[in-house]
Amino acid sequence: MSVIEIKNVKKSFEGNVVLSDVSFEVKKGEVVCLIGASGSGKSTLLRCINLLEDIDEGQIIVLGKDIEKLRNINEYRKKVGMVFQQFNLFNNMNVLDNCMLAQIKVLKKSKEEARQEAIRQLEKVGLAEFIHAYPSTLSGGQKQRVAIARALCMDPEILLFDEPTSALDPEMVGEVLNVIKELAEEDMTMIIVTHEMKFAQDVSDKVIFMDDGIILEEGMPSEIFIHPKNERTRQFLARIIS
Amino acid sequence: MSLENCIKILIKYYPSFLLGIRTTLIVSFSGTLIGLAIGLLAGGFRAVRLDKTASAGSKCLKRAIDVLLKIYIEFFRGTPMMVQAVFIYYMVYTNIVHWDKMVAAIVVISINTGAYMSEIIRSGIQSVDPGQNEAARSLGMSSMQTMMDVILPQAIRNAFPAICNEFIVNIKDSSVLMIISITELMFQSNSVAGTTYRFTETYFVTAMIYLLLTMISSFLFHHIELRMNHTKTSFPQSDTNIYSMKIAKEKTQ
Repeated sequence: MSVIEIKNVKKSFEGNVVLSDVSFEVKKGEVVCLIGASGSGKSTLLRCINLLEDIDEGQIIVLGKDIEKLRNINEYRKKVGMVFQQFNLFNNMNVLDNCMLAQIKVLKKSKEEARQEAIRQLEKVGLAEFIHAYPSTLSGGQKQRVAIARALCMDPEILLFDEPTSALDPEMVGEVLNVIKELAEEDMTMIIVTHEMKFAQDVSDKVIFMDDGIILEEGMPSEIFIHPKNERTRQFLARIIS
Repeated sequence: MSLENCIKILIKYYPSFLLGIRTTLIVSFSGTLIGLAIGLLAGGFRAVRLDKTASAGSKCLKRAIDVLLKIYIEFFRGTPMMVQAVFIYYMVYTNIVHWDKMVAAIVVISINTGAYMSEIIRSGIQSVDPGQNEAARSLGMSSMQTMMDVILPQAIRNAFPAICNEFIVNIKDSSVLMIISITELMFQSNSVAGTTYRFTETYFVTAMIYLLLTMISSFLFHHIELRMNHTKTSFPQSDTNIYSMKIAKEKTQ
Protein backbone atom coordinates (compact mmCIF):
# COMPACT_ATOMS: atom_id res chain seq x y z
CA MET A 1 0.00 0.00 0.00
CA SER A 2 1.34 3.40 -0.96
CA VAL A 3 1.47 5.90 1.89
CA ILE A 4 2.93 8.64 -0.28
CA GLU A 5 2.02 9.20 -3.91
CA ILE A 6 3.67 12.05 -5.76
CA LYS A 7 1.95 12.72 -9.06
CA ASN A 8 3.35 15.03 -11.73
CA VAL A 9 4.51 17.61 -9.22
CA LYS A 10 5.81 20.89 -10.58
CA LYS A 11 7.32 23.72 -8.62
CA SER A 12 9.20 26.84 -9.55
CA PHE A 13 10.54 29.80 -7.63
CA GLU A 14 10.02 33.05 -9.53
CA GLY A 15 10.26 31.44 -12.95
CA ASN A 16 13.15 29.22 -11.89
CA VAL A 17 11.91 25.66 -12.36
CA VAL A 18 12.98 23.48 -9.46
CA LEU A 19 10.70 20.48 -9.94
CA SER A 20 9.42 19.69 -13.40
CA ASP A 21 7.06 16.75 -13.42
CA VAL A 22 8.13 14.48 -10.57
CA SER A 23 6.19 11.30 -9.80
CA PHE A 24 6.91 8.41 -7.47
CA GLU A 25 5.40 6.31 -4.73
CA VAL A 26 6.48 5.23 -1.27
CA LYS A 27 5.01 2.11 0.29
CA LYS A 28 4.41 1.58 3.96
CA GLY A 29 7.62 0.70 5.78
CA GLU A 30 9.75 1.57 2.79
CA VAL A 31 12.94 3.60 3.01
CA VAL A 32 13.49 5.81 -0.01
CA CYS A 33 16.71 7.71 -0.53
CA LEU A 34 16.75 10.76 -2.79
CA ILE A 35 20.16 11.38 -4.27
CA GLY A 36 21.46 13.84 -6.80
CA ALA A 37 23.58 16.95 -7.16
CA SER A 38 22.84 20.10 -5.16
CA GLY A 39 20.09 22.12 -6.74
CA SER A 40 18.42 19.12 -8.31
CA GLY A 41 15.25 19.71 -6.29
CA LYS A 42 15.56 16.97 -3.67
CA SER A 43 15.13 19.21 -0.63
CA THR A 44 12.37 21.22 -2.25
CA LEU A 45 10.45 18.02 -2.91
CA LEU A 46 10.79 17.04 0.73
CA ARG A 47 9.68 20.47 1.87
CA CYS A 48 6.65 20.23 -0.40
CA ILE A 49 5.67 16.93 1.23
CA ASN A 50 5.71 18.66 4.61
CA LEU A 51 3.87 21.70 3.21
CA LEU A 52 6.75 24.03 3.98
CA GLU A 53 6.44 24.90 0.28
CA ASP A 54 3.38 24.82 -1.95
CA ILE A 55 3.46 22.95 -5.21
CA ASP A 56 2.39 24.69 -8.42
CA GLU A 57 0.90 21.70 -10.20
CA GLY A 58 0.30 18.04 -9.59
CA GLN A 59 -0.79 16.14 -6.53
CA ILE A 60 0.83 14.86 -3.37
CA ILE A 61 -1.29 12.20 -1.71
CA VAL A 62 -0.17 11.17 1.76
CA LEU A 63 -2.01 8.57 3.84
CA GLY A 64 -4.85 8.67 1.33
CA LYS A 65 -5.37 12.42 1.34
CA ASP A 66 -4.44 15.15 -1.11
CA ILE A 67 -2.35 17.38 1.13
CA GLU A 68 -3.02 20.55 -0.89
CA LYS A 69 -6.69 20.23 0.02
CA LEU A 70 -6.21 19.60 3.73
CA ARG A 71 -8.35 21.60 6.13
CA ASN A 72 -6.00 21.17 9.05
CA ILE A 73 -2.32 21.28 8.23
CA ASN A 74 -1.24 20.80 11.84
CA GLU A 75 -3.24 17.60 12.12
CA TYR A 76 -1.36 16.31 9.07
CA ARG A 77 2.07 17.52 10.15
CA LYS A 78 2.00 15.67 13.44
CA LYS A 79 1.88 12.42 11.46
CA VAL A 80 4.78 13.39 9.25
CA GLY A 81 8.00 14.15 11.10
CA MET A 82 10.81 16.15 9.60
CA VAL A 83 14.50 16.27 10.42
CA PHE A 84 16.44 19.26 9.10
CA GLN A 85 19.96 19.73 7.88
CA GLN A 86 20.50 22.51 10.43
CA PHE A 87 18.86 20.49 13.26
CA ASN A 88 16.65 23.47 14.23
CA LEU A 89 16.46 22.53 17.88
CA PHE A 90 14.63 25.15 19.92
CA ASN A 91 17.50 27.21 21.28
CA ASN A 92 15.57 28.57 24.20
CA MET A 93 14.93 25.25 25.88
CA ASN A 94 16.86 22.21 27.01
CA VAL A 95 16.88 18.83 25.31
CA LEU A 96 14.01 17.45 27.37
CA ASP A 97 11.77 20.45 26.76
CA ASN A 98 12.61 20.31 23.06
CA CYS A 99 11.15 16.82 22.99
CA MET A 100 8.21 17.59 25.28
CA LEU A 101 6.89 20.85 23.84
CA ALA A 102 4.96 19.59 20.83
CA GLN A 103 3.71 16.53 22.71
CA ILE A 104 2.07 18.81 25.25
CA LYS A 105 0.90 21.50 22.81
CA VAL A 106 -0.14 19.34 19.86
CA LEU A 107 -0.85 15.86 21.21
CA LYS A 108 -2.29 17.38 24.41
CA LYS A 109 -0.38 14.93 26.59
CA SER A 110 0.18 15.53 30.28
CA LYS A 111 3.63 16.74 31.31
CA GLU A 112 4.44 13.40 32.91
CA GLU A 113 3.42 11.37 29.84
CA ALA A 114 5.36 13.72 27.59
CA ARG A 115 8.39 13.48 29.83
CA GLN A 116 8.37 9.70 29.84
CA GLU A 117 8.01 9.50 26.09
CA ALA A 118 10.77 12.08 25.62
CA ILE A 119 13.12 10.13 27.87
CA ARG A 120 12.24 6.89 26.09
CA GLN A 121 13.09 8.39 22.70
CA LEU A 122 16.21 10.12 24.00
CA GLU A 123 17.41 6.79 25.40
CA LYS A 124 16.82 5.27 22.01
CA VAL A 125 19.14 7.78 20.35
CA GLY A 126 21.62 7.38 23.21
CA LEU A 127 21.27 10.81 24.78
CA ALA A 128 19.45 10.05 28.02
CA GLU A 129 22.17 11.70 30.09
CA PHE A 130 21.89 14.98 28.18
CA ILE A 131 18.26 15.77 28.96
CA HIS A 132 19.10 18.97 30.84
CA ALA A 133 21.67 20.24 28.34
CA TYR A 134 20.93 23.21 26.13
CA PRO A 135 21.36 22.84 22.36
CA SER A 136 24.26 25.32 22.29
CA THR A 137 26.33 22.96 24.45
CA LEU A 138 25.85 19.89 22.23
CA SER A 139 27.88 18.69 19.28
CA GLY A 140 26.30 18.61 15.84
CA GLY A 141 25.79 14.86 15.96
CA GLN A 142 24.13 15.08 19.35
CA LYS A 143 21.89 17.89 18.16
CA GLN A 144 20.77 15.88 15.16
CA ARG A 145 20.02 12.86 17.35
CA VAL A 146 17.93 15.07 19.64
CA ALA A 147 16.12 16.36 16.56
CA ILE A 148 15.35 12.79 15.53
CA ALA A 149 14.14 11.97 19.05
CA ARG A 150 11.98 15.08 19.00
CA ALA A 151 10.36 13.95 15.76
CA LEU A 152 9.89 10.40 17.09
CA CYS A 153 8.14 11.70 20.21
CA MET A 154 5.18 12.62 18.01
CA ASP A 155 4.87 8.97 16.98
CA PRO A 156 4.87 9.89 13.28
CA GLU A 157 3.85 7.51 10.51
CA ILE A 158 6.37 8.96 8.11
CA LEU A 159 9.74 10.60 8.68
CA LEU A 160 11.41 12.99 6.25
CA PHE A 161 15.13 13.63 6.49
CA ASP A 162 16.54 16.67 4.71
CA GLU A 163 20.27 16.01 4.39
CA PRO A 164 20.55 14.97 8.05
CA THR A 165 24.33 14.65 8.02
CA SER A 166 25.40 17.42 5.65
CA ALA A 167 26.09 19.95 8.41
CA LEU A 168 28.07 17.48 10.53
CA ASP A 169 31.77 16.92 11.05
CA PRO A 170 32.79 13.63 9.42
CA GLU A 171 33.32 11.80 12.71
CA MET A 172 29.75 12.55 13.78
CA VAL A 173 28.05 11.32 10.65
CA GLY A 174 28.14 7.69 11.78
CA GLU A 175 26.25 8.17 15.04
CA VAL A 176 23.37 9.86 13.23
CA LEU A 177 23.26 7.33 10.39
CA ASN A 178 23.18 4.49 12.92
CA VAL A 179 20.08 5.94 14.52
CA ILE A 180 18.41 6.19 11.10
CA LYS A 181 19.43 2.63 10.29
CA GLU A 182 17.78 1.39 13.47
CA LEU A 183 14.58 3.16 12.45
CA ALA A 184 14.77 1.49 9.04
CA GLU A 185 14.98 -1.89 10.75
CA GLU A 186 11.84 -1.05 12.70
CA ASP A 187 10.05 -0.50 9.38
CA MET A 188 9.55 3.22 9.76
CA THR A 189 8.49 4.79 6.46
CA MET A 190 11.18 7.29 5.55
CA ILE A 191 12.28 9.56 2.74
CA ILE A 192 15.89 10.54 3.12
CA VAL A 193 17.69 13.17 1.10
CA THR A 194 21.34 12.34 1.42
CA HIS A 195 24.82 12.59 -0.04
CA GLU A 196 26.02 9.53 1.90
CA MET A 197 26.03 6.97 -0.90
CA LYS A 198 27.27 4.05 1.16
CA PHE A 199 24.50 4.69 3.66
CA ALA A 200 21.88 5.05 0.93
CA GLN A 201 22.97 1.74 -0.53
CA ASP A 202 22.77 -0.04 2.85
CA VAL A 203 19.58 1.36 4.21
CA SER A 204 17.20 2.03 1.35
CA ASP A 205 14.61 -0.13 -0.33
CA LYS A 206 14.50 2.28 -3.23
CA VAL A 207 16.88 4.91 -4.52
CA ILE A 208 15.77 7.84 -6.61
CA PHE A 209 18.29 9.82 -8.61
CA MET A 210 17.16 13.35 -9.32
CA ASP A 211 18.71 15.79 -11.71
CA ASP A 212 17.49 19.22 -12.72
CA GLY A 213 14.04 18.79 -11.26
CA ILE A 214 13.23 15.43 -12.74
CA ILE A 215 13.69 11.82 -11.70
CA LEU A 216 16.27 10.33 -14.02
CA GLU A 217 16.38 6.91 -12.52
CA GLU A 218 14.76 4.97 -9.71
CA GLY A 219 15.13 1.43 -8.50
CA MET A 220 16.65 -0.94 -5.99
CA PRO A 221 19.94 0.28 -4.53
CA SER A 222 21.77 -2.58 -6.23
CA GLU A 223 20.45 -1.46 -9.63
CA ILE A 224 21.22 2.20 -9.17
CA PHE A 225 24.59 1.88 -7.52
CA ILE A 226 26.00 -1.11 -9.34
CA HIS A 227 24.33 -1.00 -12.73
CA PRO A 228 23.12 2.54 -13.32
CA LYS A 229 21.35 2.75 -16.67
CA ASN A 230 21.49 6.48 -17.14
CA GLU A 231 24.66 8.23 -18.23
CA ARG A 232 24.08 11.17 -15.81
CA THR A 233 23.65 8.76 -12.91
CA ARG A 234 26.86 7.03 -13.84
CA GLN A 235 28.74 10.33 -13.98
CA PHE A 236 27.27 11.52 -10.70
CA LEU A 237 28.10 8.31 -8.85
CA ALA A 238 31.59 8.17 -10.32
CA ARG A 239 32.25 11.71 -9.17
CA ILE A 240 30.84 11.32 -5.67
CA ILE A 241 32.19 7.87 -4.83
CA SER A 242 35.77 8.41 -6.00
CA MET B 1 28.68 79.44 37.30
CA SER B 2 30.46 77.93 40.28
CA LEU B 3 30.47 74.45 41.64
CA GLU B 4 29.89 75.85 45.11
CA ASN B 5 26.58 77.34 44.06
CA CYS B 6 25.58 74.07 42.44
CA ILE B 7 26.18 72.25 45.70
CA LYS B 8 24.30 74.92 47.64
CA ILE B 9 21.32 74.56 45.34
CA LEU B 10 21.44 70.81 45.62
CA ILE B 11 21.55 70.94 49.44
CA LYS B 12 18.82 73.51 49.75
CA TYR B 13 16.43 72.11 47.17
CA TYR B 14 17.17 68.39 47.33
CA PRO B 15 13.59 67.47 48.33
CA SER B 16 12.37 69.05 45.08
CA PHE B 17 14.96 67.16 43.08
CA LEU B 18 14.16 63.92 44.90
CA LEU B 19 10.48 64.27 44.10
CA GLY B 20 11.45 64.95 40.49
CA ILE B 21 13.66 61.85 40.36
CA ARG B 22 10.90 59.77 41.87
CA THR B 23 8.30 60.91 39.36
CA THR B 24 10.70 60.57 36.45
CA LEU B 25 11.57 57.00 37.46
CA ILE B 26 7.95 56.02 38.02
CA VAL B 27 6.87 57.46 34.68
CA SER B 28 9.75 55.99 32.67
CA PHE B 29 9.67 52.60 34.33
CA SER B 30 5.93 52.03 34.03
CA GLY B 31 5.98 53.58 30.56
CA THR B 32 8.69 51.18 29.43
CA LEU B 33 6.93 48.14 30.92
CA ILE B 34 3.51 48.96 29.49
CA GLY B 35 5.17 49.99 26.23
CA LEU B 36 6.89 46.60 26.14
CA ALA B 37 3.54 44.88 26.61
CA ILE B 38 2.06 46.93 23.77
CA GLY B 39 5.13 46.18 21.66
CA LEU B 40 4.85 42.45 22.27
CA LEU B 41 1.22 42.43 21.21
CA ALA B 42 1.60 44.76 18.24
CA GLY B 43 5.00 43.52 17.05
CA GLY B 44 4.01 39.90 17.58
CA PHE B 45 0.77 40.37 15.72
CA ARG B 46 2.49 42.09 12.82
CA ALA B 47 5.06 39.31 12.53
CA VAL B 48 2.50 36.48 12.42
CA ARG B 49 1.97 35.00 8.97
CA LEU B 50 -1.39 33.38 8.44
CA ASP B 51 -1.59 29.89 6.96
CA LYS B 52 -2.88 29.70 3.44
CA THR B 53 -5.75 27.62 4.74
CA ALA B 54 -6.92 30.52 6.93
CA SER B 55 -10.38 31.81 6.06
CA ALA B 56 -10.80 34.89 3.90
CA GLY B 57 -12.40 36.66 6.86
CA SER B 58 -9.46 36.21 9.15
CA LYS B 59 -7.08 37.23 6.36
CA CYS B 60 -9.05 40.46 5.91
CA LEU B 61 -9.12 41.11 9.64
CA LYS B 62 -5.37 40.53 9.88
CA ARG B 63 -4.78 42.98 7.01
CA ALA B 64 -6.99 45.61 8.57
CA ILE B 65 -5.35 45.37 11.99
CA ASP B 66 -1.91 45.42 10.34
CA VAL B 67 -2.78 48.71 8.63
CA LEU B 68 -4.10 50.22 11.88
CA LEU B 69 -0.97 49.16 13.73
CA LYS B 70 1.21 50.64 11.02
CA ILE B 71 -0.66 53.95 11.29
CA TYR B 72 -0.26 53.87 15.08
CA ILE B 73 3.46 53.20 14.84
CA GLU B 74 4.07 55.82 12.17
CA PHE B 75 2.05 58.46 14.02
CA PHE B 76 3.78 58.01 17.37
CA ARG B 77 7.25 57.66 15.93
CA GLY B 78 6.75 60.57 13.57
CA THR B 79 5.46 63.22 15.98
CA PRO B 80 7.20 64.71 19.05
CA MET B 81 6.21 63.22 22.39
CA MET B 82 5.67 66.74 23.72
CA VAL B 83 2.95 67.30 21.12
CA GLN B 84 1.47 63.87 21.81
CA ALA B 85 1.38 64.69 25.52
CA VAL B 86 -0.55 67.95 25.22
CA PHE B 87 -2.81 66.60 22.51
CA ILE B 88 -3.80 63.43 24.36
CA TYR B 89 -4.02 65.11 27.75
CA TYR B 90 -6.33 67.91 26.62
CA MET B 91 -8.33 65.76 24.24
CA VAL B 92 -9.25 63.33 26.98
CA TYR B 93 -9.61 66.12 29.55
CA THR B 94 -12.08 68.16 27.53
CA ASN B 95 -13.94 65.36 25.76
CA ILE B 96 -13.97 62.35 28.02
CA VAL B 97 -12.91 62.67 31.62
CA HIS B 98 -11.01 65.03 33.92
CA TRP B 99 -8.11 62.73 34.42
CA ASP B 100 -5.09 62.78 36.64
CA LYS B 101 -1.99 64.30 35.06
CA MET B 102 0.18 61.50 36.31
CA VAL B 103 -2.08 58.92 34.66
CA ALA B 104 -2.01 60.98 31.48
CA ALA B 105 1.79 61.09 31.57
CA ILE B 106 2.06 57.32 31.96
CA VAL B 107 -0.47 56.74 29.20
CA VAL B 108 1.37 59.04 26.80
CA ILE B 109 4.81 57.62 27.46
CA SER B 110 3.45 54.05 27.27
CA ILE B 111 1.76 54.56 23.92
CA ASN B 112 4.82 56.36 22.59
CA THR B 113 7.19 53.64 23.81
CA GLY B 114 4.81 50.99 22.52
CA ALA B 115 5.28 52.27 18.98
CA TYR B 116 9.05 51.94 19.23
CA MET B 117 8.82 48.62 21.08
CA SER B 118 6.63 47.13 18.34
CA GLU B 119 9.41 47.73 15.85
CA ILE B 120 12.05 46.44 18.27
CA ILE B 121 10.08 43.25 18.91
CA ARG B 122 9.31 42.81 15.23
CA SER B 123 12.96 43.04 14.29
CA GLY B 124 13.79 40.75 17.23
CA ILE B 125 11.36 38.22 15.79
CA GLN B 126 12.90 38.58 12.35
CA SER B 127 16.34 37.94 13.83
CA VAL B 128 15.24 34.47 14.98
CA ASP B 129 16.39 31.77 12.55
CA PRO B 130 13.48 30.81 10.24
CA GLY B 131 14.43 27.18 10.87
CA GLN B 132 13.02 27.53 14.40
CA ASN B 133 9.63 28.32 12.93
CA GLU B 134 9.84 25.51 10.39
CA ALA B 135 10.81 22.98 13.05
CA ALA B 136 7.91 23.95 15.29
CA ARG B 137 5.44 23.95 12.43
CA SER B 138 6.71 20.58 11.16
CA LEU B 139 5.82 19.15 14.59
CA GLY B 140 2.23 20.30 14.08
CA MET B 141 2.35 23.39 16.29
CA SER B 142 0.08 26.25 15.23
CA SER B 143 1.55 29.61 14.28
CA MET B 144 0.30 31.05 17.57
CA GLN B 145 1.87 28.28 19.65
CA THR B 146 5.09 28.62 17.70
CA MET B 147 5.15 32.36 18.31
CA MET B 148 4.50 32.11 22.05
CA ASP B 149 6.70 29.16 22.93
CA VAL B 150 9.54 29.27 20.45
CA ILE B 151 9.91 32.56 18.62
CA LEU B 152 9.02 35.25 21.17
CA PRO B 153 11.28 33.99 23.98
CA GLN B 154 14.21 34.09 21.60
CA ALA B 155 13.15 37.39 20.07
CA ILE B 156 12.95 39.06 23.48
CA ARG B 157 16.34 37.68 24.35
CA ASN B 158 17.82 39.05 21.12
CA ALA B 159 16.10 42.39 21.56
CA PHE B 160 17.02 42.75 25.24
CA PRO B 161 19.67 45.47 24.75
CA ALA B 162 17.30 47.51 22.60
CA ILE B 163 14.49 47.09 25.14
CA CYS B 164 16.76 48.32 27.94
CA ASN B 165 17.81 51.23 25.79
CA GLU B 166 14.18 52.32 25.58
CA PHE B 167 14.13 52.71 29.37
CA ILE B 168 17.20 54.95 29.24
CA VAL B 169 15.66 56.97 26.43
CA ASN B 170 12.49 57.30 28.51
CA ILE B 171 14.38 58.63 31.54
CA LYS B 172 15.61 61.47 29.35
CA ASP B 173 12.57 61.98 27.16
CA SER B 174 10.08 62.01 30.02
CA SER B 175 11.42 65.56 30.57
CA VAL B 176 9.07 66.76 27.83
CA LEU B 177 6.13 65.64 29.98
CA MET B 178 6.70 68.79 32.05
CA ILE B 179 4.44 70.36 29.43
CA ILE B 180 1.45 68.81 31.22
CA SER B 181 3.06 69.86 34.54
CA ILE B 182 3.69 66.59 36.28
CA THR B 183 6.38 66.79 38.95
CA GLU B 184 9.10 65.03 37.02
CA LEU B 185 12.72 66.11 37.21
CA MET B 186 12.63 68.77 34.50
CA PHE B 187 9.49 70.39 35.87
CA GLN B 188 10.99 70.45 39.37
CA SER B 189 14.20 71.94 38.03
CA ASN B 190 12.24 74.69 36.34
CA SER B 191 10.62 75.63 39.62
CA VAL B 192 13.94 75.53 41.45
CA ALA B 193 15.51 77.71 38.76
CA GLY B 194 12.53 80.06 38.96
CA THR B 195 13.02 80.44 42.69
CA THR B 196 16.80 80.83 42.76
CA TYR B 197 17.25 82.69 39.45
CA ARG B 198 20.45 80.63 39.10
CA PHE B 199 19.58 78.98 35.82
CA THR B 200 23.00 77.71 34.82
CA GLU B 201 23.75 76.06 38.15
CA THR B 202 20.30 74.56 38.54
CA TYR B 203 20.24 73.02 35.10
CA PHE B 204 23.79 71.80 35.53
CA VAL B 205 22.60 69.92 38.63
CA THR B 206 19.66 68.61 36.60
CA ALA B 207 21.94 67.41 33.84
CA MET B 208 24.16 65.62 36.35
CA ILE B 209 21.17 63.91 37.94
CA TYR B 210 19.94 62.70 34.51
CA LEU B 211 23.44 61.50 33.69
CA LEU B 212 23.64 59.63 36.98
CA LEU B 213 20.25 57.98 36.42
CA THR B 214 21.08 56.84 32.89
CA MET B 215 24.56 55.65 33.88
CA ILE B 216 23.26 53.59 36.78
CA SER B 217 20.57 52.09 34.53
CA SER B 218 22.96 51.13 31.77
CA PHE B 219 25.36 49.68 34.34
CA LEU B 220 22.56 47.53 35.79
CA PHE B 221 21.33 46.42 32.38
CA HIS B 222 24.83 45.59 31.29
CA HIS B 223 25.18 43.26 34.24
CA ILE B 224 21.82 41.63 33.70
CA GLU B 225 22.88 41.02 30.12
CA LEU B 226 26.18 39.49 31.21
CA ARG B 227 24.31 37.25 33.64
CA MET B 228 22.01 36.14 30.83
CA ASN B 229 25.02 35.30 28.67
CA HIS B 230 26.63 33.22 31.36
CA THR B 231 23.70 31.11 32.41
CA LYS B 232 22.85 27.81 30.85
CA THR B 233 19.90 29.39 29.14
CA SER B 234 22.13 31.37 26.84
CA PHE B 235 22.06 30.45 23.22
CA PRO B 236 24.85 31.77 21.05
CA GLN B 237 23.90 32.05 17.40
CA SER B 238 26.18 29.34 16.12
CA ASP B 239 28.65 26.67 17.07
CA THR B 240 31.50 28.76 15.78
CA ASN B 241 30.73 31.24 18.54
CA ILE B 242 31.15 28.68 21.26
CA TYR B 243 34.18 27.30 19.55
CA SER B 244 35.91 30.66 19.31
CA MET B 245 34.92 31.39 22.91
CA LYS B 246 36.53 28.13 23.95
CA ILE B 247 39.69 28.96 22.08
CA ALA B 248 39.81 32.41 23.63
CA LYS B 249 39.36 30.84 27.06
CA GLU B 250 42.11 28.33 26.47
CA LYS B 251 44.45 31.07 25.32
CA THR B 252 43.92 33.09 28.46
CA GLN B 253 44.56 30.12 30.70
